[in-house]
Amino acid sequence: MVAESDVITLQMECTLFFENNPYAIETSSGLSKRLGRSQQVTEQALNRLAEMSILEKNGQGMRAIYRYKAPYIQTEVDLNAYD
Amino acid sequence: MQKKKAVQTGIPGLDDILYGGVPPGAVVILEGEPGTGKTTFGMQFLVEGAVKHNEPGIYITFEELPEQIYDDMTGFGWDLRELERQNKLRVICMEPDILLEQMLQPHGLFEQIVNEIGCRRVVIDSISLFRMVGDEEDVRTNVYSIRNIMRKHTLTSFFIREYSEFEGMSMPFENYICDGIVRLSLKPLMDKYRKRTIEVLKMRGTRILEGEHTYKFIHNGVYIVPSLSMAEDKMLIRESEVLSTGIDSLDDLLAGGIPRGSVFMIDTNSKANYRYLLSSIYSQRIKDDDCTVTMMSGNTSLDTFADTIELFGVSLREAASKGKAFFIEHYRRAVESGLEKAIIRVDKVTNEEYAQVLNERLNPIFECEELCDKRWFVYYDLNTIISERGKDFLLRYFAEEMSMWRSLGITIVVHCNFAEIGTETASFLERTCNGVIRTWVDGNYQYLQVTKSPSGRVSAPHIIANVAEKPFVQLI
Repeated sequence: MVAESDVITLQMECTLFFENNPYAIETSSGLSKRLGRSQQVTEQALNRLAEMSILEKNGQGMRAIYRYKAPYIQTEVDLNAYD
Repeated sequence: MQKKKAVQTGIPGLDDILYGGVPPGAVVILEGEPGTGKTTFGMQFLVEGAVKHNEPGIYITFEELPEQIYDDMTGFGWDLRELERQNKLRVICMEPDILLEQMLQPHGLFEQIVNEIGCRRVVIDSISLFRMVGDEEDVRTNVYSIRNIMRKHTLTSFFIREYSEFEGMSMPFENYICDGIVRLSLKPLMDKYRKRTIEVLKMRGTRILEGEHTYKFIHNGVYIVPSLSMAEDKMLIRESEVLSTGIDSLDDLLAGGIPRGSVFMIDTNSKANYRYLLSSIYSQRIKDDDCTVTMMSGNTSLDTFADTIELFGVSLREAASKGKAFFIEHYRRAVESGLEKAIIRVDKVTNEEYAQVLNERLNPIFECEELCDKRWFVYYDLNTIISERGKDFLLRYFAEEMSMWRSLGITIVVHCNFAEIGTETASFLERTCNGVIRTWVDGNYQYLQVTKSPSGRVSAPHIIANVAEKPFVQLI
Protein backbone atom coordinates (compact mmCIF):
# COMPACT_ATOMS: atom_id res chain seq x y z
CA MET A 1 0.00 0.00 0.00
CA VAL A 2 1.44 3.37 -1.04
CA ALA A 3 0.94 6.31 1.31
CA GLU A 4 -0.91 9.28 -0.19
CA SER A 5 1.74 11.69 1.11
CA ASP A 6 4.41 9.73 -0.79
CA VAL A 7 2.48 9.98 -4.04
CA ILE A 8 2.02 13.75 -3.57
CA THR A 9 5.74 14.15 -2.91
CA LEU A 10 6.50 12.19 -6.05
CA GLN A 11 4.03 14.28 -8.06
CA MET A 12 6.03 17.36 -7.09
CA GLU A 13 9.35 15.70 -7.91
CA CYS A 14 8.07 14.47 -11.26
CA THR A 15 6.64 17.88 -12.16
CA LEU A 16 9.88 19.56 -11.24
CA PHE A 17 11.81 17.00 -13.28
CA PHE A 18 9.75 17.62 -16.41
CA GLU A 19 9.84 21.37 -15.85
CA ASN A 20 13.64 21.26 -15.84
CA ASN A 21 13.85 18.68 -18.62
CA PRO A 22 10.86 19.58 -20.78
CA TYR A 23 11.69 17.18 -23.62
CA ALA A 24 12.35 14.11 -21.49
CA ILE A 25 10.50 10.97 -22.56
CA GLU A 26 10.34 8.53 -19.71
CA THR A 27 8.82 5.27 -18.55
CA SER A 28 7.95 4.91 -14.86
CA SER A 29 10.87 2.54 -14.51
CA GLY A 30 13.33 4.94 -16.20
CA LEU A 31 12.19 7.96 -14.21
CA SER A 32 12.20 6.08 -10.90
CA LYS A 33 15.89 5.36 -11.50
CA ARG A 34 16.64 9.00 -12.32
CA LEU A 35 14.79 10.22 -9.22
CA GLY A 36 16.01 7.42 -6.97
CA ARG A 37 12.47 6.44 -6.00
CA SER A 38 10.50 3.20 -6.10
CA GLN A 39 8.86 2.42 -9.39
CA GLN A 40 5.48 1.72 -7.80
CA VAL A 41 5.13 5.22 -6.31
CA THR A 42 6.60 6.89 -9.38
CA GLU A 43 4.09 5.14 -11.61
CA GLN A 44 1.16 6.28 -9.48
CA ALA A 45 2.44 9.86 -9.44
CA LEU A 46 2.96 9.85 -13.22
CA ASN A 47 -0.53 8.51 -13.87
CA ARG A 48 -2.05 11.22 -11.72
CA LEU A 49 -0.09 13.90 -13.57
CA ALA A 50 -1.33 12.39 -16.83
CA GLU A 51 -4.92 12.54 -15.55
CA MET A 52 -4.38 16.22 -14.73
CA SER A 53 -3.06 16.75 -18.30
CA ILE A 54 0.31 17.88 -16.99
CA LEU A 55 1.86 14.89 -18.73
CA GLU A 56 0.95 13.07 -21.92
CA LYS A 57 0.82 9.29 -21.59
CA ASN A 58 1.38 6.97 -24.52
CA GLY A 59 0.84 3.22 -24.16
CA GLN A 60 -0.09 1.14 -21.17
CA GLY A 61 1.58 -0.80 -18.36
CA MET A 62 5.34 -0.97 -17.95
CA ARG A 63 5.97 0.28 -21.50
CA ALA A 64 3.82 3.41 -21.09
CA ILE A 65 5.84 6.56 -21.77
CA TYR A 66 5.28 10.00 -20.32
CA ARG A 67 6.23 13.40 -21.69
CA TYR A 68 5.61 16.91 -20.52
CA LYS A 69 2.75 18.98 -21.88
CA ALA A 70 4.38 22.33 -21.28
CA PRO A 71 1.75 24.90 -20.29
CA TYR A 72 1.31 27.83 -22.67
CA ILE A 73 2.86 30.87 -21.06
CA GLN A 74 2.67 34.33 -22.58
CA THR A 75 5.78 36.19 -21.54
CA GLU A 76 5.19 39.48 -23.36
CA VAL A 77 2.00 41.53 -23.66
CA ASP A 78 1.57 44.40 -26.09
CA LEU A 79 -0.34 46.93 -23.94
CA ASN A 80 -0.90 49.21 -26.94
CA ALA A 81 -3.30 46.62 -28.32
CA TYR A 82 -5.75 47.47 -25.48
CA ASP A 83 -5.85 51.25 -26.08
CA MET B 1 25.58 13.67 -61.02
CA GLN B 2 26.13 16.74 -58.86
CA LYS B 3 27.61 16.10 -55.44
CA LYS B 4 25.40 17.19 -52.52
CA LYS B 5 26.70 20.09 -50.49
CA ALA B 6 28.60 18.98 -47.41
CA VAL B 7 27.09 19.60 -43.97
CA GLN B 8 29.33 22.06 -42.12
CA THR B 9 30.04 20.87 -38.60
CA GLY B 10 30.78 24.36 -37.26
CA ILE B 11 33.79 23.02 -35.40
CA PRO B 12 36.70 25.16 -36.59
CA GLY B 13 39.25 22.98 -38.33
CA LEU B 14 37.05 19.89 -38.69
CA ASP B 15 35.50 21.03 -41.95
CA ASP B 16 39.02 21.63 -43.31
CA ILE B 17 39.99 18.10 -42.29
CA LEU B 18 36.87 16.82 -44.07
CA TYR B 19 37.40 19.03 -47.14
CA GLY B 20 34.18 20.94 -46.53
CA GLY B 21 32.20 18.92 -44.01
CA VAL B 22 30.24 15.73 -43.46
CA PRO B 23 28.32 14.29 -46.44
CA PRO B 24 24.60 14.96 -45.90
CA GLY B 25 22.75 12.06 -44.27
CA ALA B 26 25.98 10.43 -43.11
CA VAL B 27 25.99 8.54 -39.82
CA VAL B 28 29.29 9.16 -38.06
CA ILE B 29 30.64 7.52 -34.92
CA LEU B 30 32.26 10.01 -32.54
CA GLU B 31 34.30 7.99 -30.08
CA GLY B 32 36.57 8.92 -27.24
CA GLU B 33 37.62 8.36 -23.67
CA PRO B 34 35.92 10.18 -20.80
CA GLY B 35 36.89 13.85 -20.75
CA THR B 36 37.64 14.16 -24.46
CA GLY B 37 34.62 16.41 -25.07
CA LYS B 38 32.29 14.14 -27.03
CA THR B 39 29.20 15.92 -25.71
CA THR B 40 30.63 19.35 -26.54
CA PHE B 41 31.56 18.21 -30.06
CA GLY B 42 28.07 16.83 -30.58
CA MET B 43 26.34 19.90 -29.23
CA GLN B 44 28.55 22.31 -31.21
CA PHE B 45 27.51 20.45 -34.37
CA LEU B 46 23.83 20.96 -33.48
CA VAL B 47 24.22 24.61 -32.39
CA GLU B 48 26.00 25.40 -35.69
CA GLY B 49 23.12 23.87 -37.63
CA ALA B 50 20.47 25.65 -35.57
CA VAL B 51 22.09 29.09 -35.49
CA LYS B 52 23.85 29.39 -38.83
CA HIS B 53 22.22 27.02 -41.29
CA ASN B 54 18.58 26.83 -40.22
CA GLU B 55 19.05 23.11 -39.68
CA PRO B 56 17.30 22.18 -36.42
CA GLY B 57 18.74 19.29 -34.43
CA ILE B 58 17.95 16.73 -31.76
CA TYR B 59 20.32 15.68 -28.98
CA ILE B 60 19.30 12.36 -27.46
CA THR B 61 20.92 11.53 -24.14
CA PHE B 62 20.46 8.24 -22.31
CA GLU B 63 22.36 8.93 -19.11
CA GLU B 64 22.93 12.66 -18.76
CA LEU B 65 20.01 14.87 -17.80
CA PRO B 66 19.22 17.70 -20.22
CA GLU B 67 19.31 20.24 -17.36
CA GLN B 68 22.95 19.29 -16.75
CA ILE B 69 23.74 19.74 -20.45
CA TYR B 70 21.93 23.12 -20.55
CA ASP B 71 24.09 24.30 -17.64
CA ASP B 72 27.37 22.89 -18.98
CA MET B 73 26.92 24.46 -22.38
CA THR B 74 26.26 27.97 -21.09
CA GLY B 75 30.03 27.99 -20.47
CA PHE B 76 30.47 28.19 -24.25
CA GLY B 77 27.81 30.87 -24.60
CA TRP B 78 25.17 28.48 -25.98
CA ASP B 79 21.65 29.12 -24.70
CA LEU B 80 20.10 25.76 -25.48
CA ARG B 81 16.78 26.53 -23.80
CA GLU B 82 16.38 29.56 -26.06
CA LEU B 83 17.11 27.41 -29.12
CA GLU B 84 14.44 24.99 -27.89
CA ARG B 85 11.97 27.87 -27.55
CA GLN B 86 12.74 28.77 -31.17
CA ASN B 87 12.08 25.13 -32.18
CA LYS B 88 15.65 24.81 -33.46
CA LEU B 89 16.77 22.23 -30.93
CA ARG B 90 15.47 19.47 -28.70
CA VAL B 91 17.50 17.91 -25.91
CA ILE B 92 15.70 14.67 -25.22
CA CYS B 93 16.43 12.17 -22.49
CA MET B 94 15.04 8.68 -22.68
CA GLU B 95 16.13 5.08 -22.34
CA PRO B 96 17.77 3.29 -25.29
CA ASP B 97 15.02 0.68 -25.65
CA ILE B 98 12.33 3.38 -25.66
CA LEU B 99 14.16 5.30 -28.36
CA LEU B 100 14.39 2.19 -30.45
CA GLU B 101 10.74 1.35 -29.91
CA GLN B 102 9.64 4.87 -30.85
CA MET B 103 11.92 5.00 -33.87
CA LEU B 104 10.62 1.75 -35.27
CA GLN B 105 6.98 2.73 -34.78
CA PRO B 106 5.34 4.52 -37.74
CA HIS B 107 4.43 8.05 -36.56
CA GLY B 108 6.19 7.28 -33.29
CA LEU B 109 7.51 10.00 -31.03
CA PHE B 110 10.83 10.22 -32.83
CA GLU B 111 9.20 10.85 -36.19
CA GLN B 112 6.81 13.32 -34.59
CA ILE B 113 9.64 15.39 -33.12
CA VAL B 114 11.64 15.24 -36.35
CA ASN B 115 8.65 16.62 -38.26
CA GLU B 116 7.73 19.08 -35.52
CA ILE B 117 11.01 21.02 -35.77
CA GLY B 118 12.08 20.03 -39.30
CA CYS B 119 15.10 18.22 -37.87
CA ARG B 120 18.22 17.89 -40.06
CA ARG B 121 20.88 16.86 -37.52
CA VAL B 122 20.92 14.29 -34.72
CA VAL B 123 23.33 13.32 -31.96
CA ILE B 124 22.81 10.12 -29.94
CA ASP B 125 24.74 9.95 -26.66
CA SER B 126 25.72 7.16 -26.52
CA ILE B 127 25.27 4.10 -28.70
CA SER B 128 27.45 2.13 -26.27
CA LEU B 129 24.31 1.77 -24.17
CA PHE B 130 22.61 -0.23 -26.91
CA ARG B 131 24.91 -3.04 -25.83
CA MET B 132 22.79 -3.23 -22.67
CA VAL B 133 19.70 -3.96 -24.76
CA GLY B 134 19.57 -7.56 -25.97
CA ASP B 135 22.33 -9.89 -27.13
CA GLU B 136 25.10 -9.14 -29.67
CA GLU B 137 22.88 -10.08 -32.62
CA ASP B 138 20.04 -7.82 -31.39
CA VAL B 139 22.43 -4.94 -30.85
CA ARG B 140 23.76 -5.24 -34.37
CA THR B 141 20.25 -5.32 -35.83
CA ASN B 142 19.17 -2.38 -33.69
CA VAL B 143 22.09 -0.12 -34.60
CA TYR B 144 21.65 -1.09 -38.25
CA SER B 145 17.95 -0.13 -38.07
CA ILE B 146 18.73 3.20 -36.44
CA ARG B 147 21.32 3.99 -39.11
CA ASN B 148 18.75 3.23 -41.81
CA ILE B 149 16.15 5.44 -40.14
CA MET B 150 18.68 8.31 -40.07
CA ARG B 151 19.41 7.79 -43.75
CA LYS B 152 15.71 7.57 -44.62
CA HIS B 153 15.13 11.02 -43.12
CA THR B 154 18.51 12.34 -44.43
CA LEU B 155 19.51 13.17 -40.88
CA THR B 156 23.22 13.87 -40.60
CA SER B 157 24.11 12.24 -37.32
CA PHE B 158 26.84 11.70 -34.80
CA PHE B 159 26.61 8.52 -32.72
CA ILE B 160 28.71 8.97 -29.62
CA ARG B 161 30.58 5.87 -28.43
CA GLU B 162 32.71 5.31 -25.35
CA TYR B 163 36.20 4.28 -26.32
CA SER B 164 39.25 3.07 -24.51
CA GLU B 165 42.60 1.93 -25.90
CA PHE B 166 42.32 -1.07 -23.60
CA GLU B 167 39.05 -2.31 -25.00
CA GLY B 168 38.87 -5.61 -26.86
CA MET B 169 41.00 -5.97 -29.93
CA SER B 170 38.13 -6.96 -32.21
CA MET B 171 36.63 -4.28 -34.45
CA PRO B 172 33.21 -3.06 -33.23
CA PHE B 173 30.52 -3.91 -35.78
CA GLU B 174 29.36 -0.26 -35.89
CA ASN B 175 32.59 0.55 -37.69
CA TYR B 176 31.35 -1.40 -40.71
CA ILE B 177 27.80 -0.09 -40.59
CA CYS B 178 28.45 3.64 -40.14
CA ASP B 179 29.69 6.09 -42.75
CA GLY B 180 32.40 7.68 -40.67
CA ILE B 181 34.50 7.32 -37.54
CA VAL B 182 35.99 10.26 -35.67
CA ARG B 183 38.22 9.46 -32.70
CA LEU B 184 39.03 11.85 -29.85
CA SER B 185 42.04 11.02 -27.68
CA LEU B 186 44.11 12.33 -24.80
CA LYS B 187 47.83 11.90 -25.46
CA PRO B 188 50.92 12.68 -23.35
CA LEU B 189 52.69 15.93 -24.23
CA MET B 190 56.18 16.89 -23.03
CA ASP B 191 56.11 14.48 -20.05
CA LYS B 192 53.93 16.57 -17.77
CA TYR B 193 51.09 17.61 -20.03
CA ARG B 194 48.31 16.05 -22.03
CA LYS B 195 47.10 17.10 -25.43
CA ARG B 196 43.77 16.40 -27.03
CA THR B 197 43.81 14.97 -30.54
CA ILE B 198 41.18 14.20 -33.13
CA GLU B 199 41.57 11.78 -36.01
CA VAL B 200 39.12 10.96 -38.78
CA LEU B 201 39.57 7.23 -39.31
CA LYS B 202 36.85 6.83 -41.92
CA MET B 203 34.48 9.07 -43.85
CA ARG B 204 32.60 7.78 -46.86
CA GLY B 205 32.04 10.24 -49.67
CA THR B 206 34.75 12.76 -48.89
CA ARG B 207 38.51 13.08 -48.76
CA ILE B 208 40.09 13.50 -45.35
CA LEU B 209 43.19 15.22 -44.08
CA GLU B 210 44.89 12.21 -42.55
CA GLY B 211 46.59 12.06 -39.18
CA GLU B 212 45.99 13.31 -35.66
CA HIS B 213 45.10 16.94 -35.18
CA THR B 214 45.28 18.84 -31.92
CA TYR B 215 42.18 20.50 -30.48
CA LYS B 216 41.42 22.71 -27.54
CA PHE B 217 38.40 24.01 -25.71
CA ILE B 218 38.16 27.76 -26.08
CA HIS B 219 35.51 30.27 -24.97
CA ASN B 220 33.05 29.34 -27.73
CA GLY B 221 33.57 25.60 -28.02
CA VAL B 222 36.04 23.21 -29.57
CA TYR B 223 38.80 24.54 -31.83
CA ILE B 224 40.85 22.14 -33.96
CA VAL B 225 44.22 23.07 -35.40
CA PRO B 226 44.77 20.81 -38.41
CA SER B 227 48.22 19.26 -38.16
CA LEU B 228 51.05 20.58 -40.28
CA SER B 229 49.57 24.09 -40.16
CA MET B 230 52.22 26.76 -39.92
CA ALA B 231 52.01 30.52 -39.99
CA GLU B 232 51.17 31.85 -43.44
CA ASP B 233 53.42 34.20 -45.38
CA LYS B 234 50.69 36.74 -46.08
CA MET B 235 52.93 38.89 -48.29
CA LEU B 236 53.56 36.06 -50.69
CA ILE B 237 50.15 34.43 -50.80
CA ARG B 238 48.56 37.85 -51.26
CA GLU B 239 50.07 37.84 -54.71
CA SER B 240 47.40 36.18 -56.77
CA GLU B 241 49.67 34.52 -59.33
CA VAL B 242 50.87 31.04 -58.61
CA LEU B 243 52.85 29.00 -61.10
CA SER B 244 51.63 25.52 -61.80
CA THR B 245 54.20 22.77 -61.33
CA GLY B 246 52.49 20.78 -64.08
CA ILE B 247 51.70 18.05 -61.52
CA ASP B 248 48.11 18.52 -60.35
CA SER B 249 48.53 16.63 -57.10
CA LEU B 250 51.60 18.74 -56.21
CA ASP B 251 49.73 21.94 -57.08
CA ASP B 252 47.05 20.85 -54.60
CA LEU B 253 49.64 20.50 -51.85
CA LEU B 254 51.00 23.95 -52.69
CA ALA B 255 47.57 25.65 -52.69
CA GLY B 256 47.74 26.10 -56.47
CA GLY B 257 51.43 26.11 -57.22
CA ILE B 258 54.62 28.08 -56.59
CA PRO B 259 53.92 31.77 -55.90
CA ARG B 260 55.60 34.01 -58.47
CA GLY B 261 58.64 35.72 -57.03
CA SER B 262 59.34 33.07 -54.39
CA VAL B 263 62.32 30.79 -53.81
CA PHE B 264 61.58 27.07 -53.55
CA MET B 265 64.04 24.36 -52.61
CA ILE B 266 63.86 20.78 -53.85
CA ASP B 267 65.67 18.67 -51.28
CA THR B 268 66.52 15.16 -52.47
CA ASN B 269 68.45 12.29 -51.03
CA SER B 270 70.99 10.51 -53.20
CA LYS B 271 68.63 7.73 -54.29
CA ALA B 272 65.66 9.92 -55.17
CA ASN B 273 64.91 10.69 -58.79
CA TYR B 274 63.89 14.34 -59.03
CA ARG B 275 64.30 14.65 -62.80
CA TYR B 276 60.60 14.46 -63.71
CA LEU B 277 59.57 16.70 -60.87
CA LEU B 278 62.02 19.39 -61.92
CA SER B 279 61.41 18.90 -65.64
CA SER B 280 57.68 19.29 -65.12
CA ILE B 281 58.09 22.56 -63.23
CA TYR B 282 60.60 23.81 -65.80
CA SER B 283 58.66 22.84 -68.93
CA GLN B 284 55.54 24.44 -67.49
CA ARG B 285 57.44 27.76 -67.33
CA ILE B 286 58.43 27.48 -70.99
CA LYS B 287 54.87 26.52 -71.89
CA ASP B 288 53.67 29.71 -70.15
CA ASP B 289 56.20 31.71 -72.24
CA ASP B 290 58.43 32.62 -69.28
CA CYS B 291 62.15 33.21 -69.81
CA THR B 292 64.49 30.86 -67.99
CA VAL B 293 68.02 30.69 -66.62
CA THR B 294 69.37 27.27 -65.66
CA MET B 295 72.45 26.29 -63.75
CA MET B 296 73.48 23.00 -65.28
CA SER B 297 74.50 20.18 -62.95
CA GLY B 298 77.58 18.04 -63.41
CA ASN B 299 75.67 14.87 -64.19
CA THR B 300 73.28 16.22 -66.82
CA SER B 301 74.44 17.73 -70.07
CA LEU B 302 72.47 20.43 -71.78
CA ASP B 303 71.49 18.08 -74.58
CA THR B 304 70.14 15.50 -72.15
CA PHE B 305 68.29 18.22 -70.26
CA ALA B 306 66.76 19.57 -73.49
CA ASP B 307 65.72 16.06 -74.53
CA THR B 308 63.99 15.49 -71.18
CA ILE B 309 62.12 18.78 -71.46
CA GLU B 310 60.98 17.76 -74.93
CA LEU B 311 59.22 14.76 -73.40
CA PHE B 312 56.86 17.33 -71.84
CA GLY B 313 55.90 18.68 -75.25
CA VAL B 314 57.96 21.88 -75.24
CA SER B 315 61.21 22.76 -76.98
CA LEU B 316 63.99 24.15 -74.84
CA ARG B 317 66.14 24.45 -77.96
CA GLU B 318 63.55 26.68 -79.59
CA ALA B 319 63.28 28.83 -76.46
CA ALA B 320 67.08 29.18 -76.40
CA SER B 321 67.23 30.09 -80.07
CA LYS B 322 64.69 32.85 -79.43
CA GLY B 323 66.83 34.21 -76.61
CA LYS B 324 64.39 33.13 -73.90
CA ALA B 325 66.51 30.45 -72.22
CA PHE B 326 70.04 30.74 -70.82
CA PHE B 327 72.35 28.27 -69.13
CA ILE B 328 75.10 28.72 -66.54
CA GLU B 329 77.74 26.10 -67.23
CA HIS B 330 80.54 25.13 -64.83
CA TYR B 331 81.85 22.34 -67.06
CA ARG B 332 83.59 22.45 -70.40
CA ARG B 333 81.23 20.17 -72.34
CA ALA B 334 80.42 20.13 -76.02
CA VAL B 335 76.93 21.29 -76.96
CA GLU B 336 74.95 21.62 -80.14
CA SER B 337 76.08 24.66 -82.04
CA GLY B 338 72.64 26.28 -81.86
CA LEU B 339 72.74 26.38 -78.07
CA GLU B 340 76.24 27.79 -77.66
CA LYS B 341 75.19 31.44 -77.59
CA ALA B 342 72.73 30.74 -74.75
CA ILE B 343 75.50 29.45 -72.48
CA ILE B 344 77.14 31.56 -69.79
CA ARG B 345 80.43 29.80 -69.10
CA VAL B 346 81.80 30.18 -65.58
CA ASP B 347 84.28 27.29 -65.52
CA LYS B 348 87.26 29.62 -65.44
CA VAL B 349 85.70 32.17 -63.14
CA THR B 350 87.09 32.35 -59.59
CA ASN B 351 84.88 32.56 -56.53
CA GLU B 352 85.78 36.20 -56.06
CA GLU B 353 84.74 37.04 -59.62
CA TYR B 354 81.70 34.78 -59.78
CA ALA B 355 78.94 37.10 -58.60
CA GLN B 356 80.26 39.98 -60.65
CA VAL B 357 80.68 37.94 -63.82
CA LEU B 358 77.25 36.42 -63.50
CA ASN B 359 75.58 39.76 -62.90
CA GLU B 360 77.42 41.34 -65.81
CA ARG B 361 76.10 38.62 -68.06
CA LEU B 362 72.61 38.27 -66.61
CA ASN B 363 71.61 41.86 -65.83
CA PRO B 364 71.62 42.96 -69.48
CA ILE B 365 69.49 39.92 -70.25
CA PHE B 366 67.02 40.65 -67.45
CA GLU B 367 66.90 44.29 -68.48
CA CYS B 368 66.86 43.72 -72.25
CA GLU B 369 64.12 45.86 -73.72
CA GLU B 370 62.68 43.01 -75.69
CA LEU B 371 62.54 40.75 -72.66
CA CYS B 372 62.07 43.21 -69.79
CA ASP B 373 58.34 42.66 -69.60
CA LYS B 374 58.91 38.92 -69.58
CA ARG B 375 58.64 36.87 -66.45
CA TRP B 376 61.76 35.04 -65.36
CA PHE B 377 62.32 31.68 -63.85
CA VAL B 378 65.68 30.53 -62.51
CA TYR B 379 66.68 26.96 -61.71
CA TYR B 380 69.78 26.69 -59.59
CA ASP B 381 71.69 23.50 -58.82
CA LEU B 382 73.29 24.09 -55.43
CA ASN B 383 75.06 20.73 -55.47
CA THR B 384 77.13 22.07 -58.37
CA ILE B 385 77.92 25.28 -56.48
CA ILE B 386 79.03 23.26 -53.44
CA SER B 387 81.16 20.83 -55.43
CA GLU B 388 82.74 23.50 -57.62
CA ARG B 389 83.00 26.44 -55.23
CA GLY B 390 82.63 25.02 -51.73
CA LYS B 391 80.17 25.31 -48.90
CA ASP B 392 81.58 28.58 -47.54
CA PHE B 393 81.07 30.24 -50.89
CA LEU B 394 77.49 29.03 -50.95
CA LEU B 395 76.77 30.46 -47.52
CA ARG B 396 78.22 33.84 -48.50
CA TYR B 397 76.68 34.01 -51.94
CA PHE B 398 73.30 32.37 -51.71
CA ALA B 399 71.25 34.71 -49.51
CA GLU B 400 72.59 37.82 -51.26
CA GLU B 401 71.99 36.53 -54.77
CA MET B 402 68.54 35.11 -54.04
CA SER B 403 67.51 38.35 -52.38
CA MET B 404 68.58 40.37 -55.41
CA TRP B 405 66.80 38.11 -57.90
CA ARG B 406 63.72 37.97 -55.79
CA SER B 407 63.61 41.77 -55.72
CA LEU B 408 63.37 41.62 -59.53
CA GLY B 409 60.27 39.39 -59.19
CA ILE B 410 62.13 36.34 -60.43
CA THR B 411 60.85 32.91 -59.36
CA ILE B 412 63.63 30.58 -58.29
CA VAL B 413 63.77 26.84 -57.77
CA VAL B 414 66.97 25.47 -56.27
CA HIS B 415 68.00 21.88 -55.88
CA CYS B 416 70.10 20.53 -53.05
CA ASN B 417 70.77 17.46 -50.93
CA PHE B 418 70.33 18.60 -47.33
CA ALA B 419 71.74 15.36 -45.93
CA GLU B 420 75.09 15.95 -47.66
CA ILE B 421 75.60 19.56 -46.66
CA GLY B 422 75.13 19.22 -42.91
CA THR B 423 72.43 20.44 -40.54
CA GLU B 424 73.68 23.99 -40.12
CA THR B 425 73.95 24.77 -43.83
CA ALA B 426 70.66 23.01 -44.54
CA SER B 427 68.97 25.04 -41.85
CA PHE B 428 70.39 28.25 -43.32
CA LEU B 429 69.17 27.37 -46.82
CA GLU B 430 65.76 26.36 -45.54
CA ARG B 431 65.42 29.69 -43.76
CA THR B 432 66.34 31.57 -46.93
CA CYS B 433 63.71 29.79 -49.02
CA ASN B 434 59.95 30.41 -49.01
CA GLY B 435 59.15 26.78 -49.66
CA VAL B 436 60.79 23.36 -49.42
CA ILE B 437 59.78 20.22 -51.31
CA ARG B 438 61.50 17.09 -50.01
CA THR B 439 61.72 13.87 -51.95
CA TRP B 440 63.47 10.75 -50.72
CA VAL B 441 63.58 7.01 -51.14
CA ASP B 442 62.74 4.85 -48.18
CA GLY B 443 62.43 1.11 -48.66
CA ASN B 444 60.52 0.33 -51.81
CA TYR B 445 59.01 3.74 -52.41
CA GLN B 446 59.97 7.29 -53.26
CA TYR B 447 58.18 9.89 -51.16
CA LEU B 448 57.49 13.59 -51.54
CA GLN B 449 56.51 16.05 -48.84
CA VAL B 450 56.07 19.81 -48.83
CA THR B 451 57.82 20.71 -45.57
CA LYS B 452 57.56 24.47 -45.93
CA SER B 453 55.28 26.66 -48.00
CA PRO B 454 54.16 30.29 -48.02
CA SER B 455 50.56 29.19 -47.40
CA GLY B 456 51.69 27.73 -44.08
CA ARG B 457 50.40 24.33 -45.12
CA VAL B 458 52.84 21.47 -44.74
CA SER B 459 51.78 18.28 -46.43
CA ALA B 460 51.82 14.70 -45.26
CA PRO B 461 54.37 12.49 -47.07
CA HIS B 462 53.00 11.24 -50.40
CA ILE B 463 54.20 8.31 -52.47
CA ILE B 464 55.47 9.18 -55.94
CA ALA B 465 53.92 6.86 -58.50
CA ASN B 466 54.97 6.59 -62.13
CA VAL B 467 52.44 7.25 -64.86
CA ALA B 468 52.80 6.61 -68.56
CA GLU B 469 51.82 10.09 -69.75
CA LYS B 470 53.41 13.43 -68.91
CA PRO B 471 54.18 14.63 -66.24
CA PHE B 472 55.15 10.95 -65.74
CA VAL B 473 54.68 11.13 -61.96
CA GLN B 474 51.76 11.60 -59.62
CA LEU B 475 51.48 11.84 -55.87
CA ILE B 476 49.44 9.28 -54.01
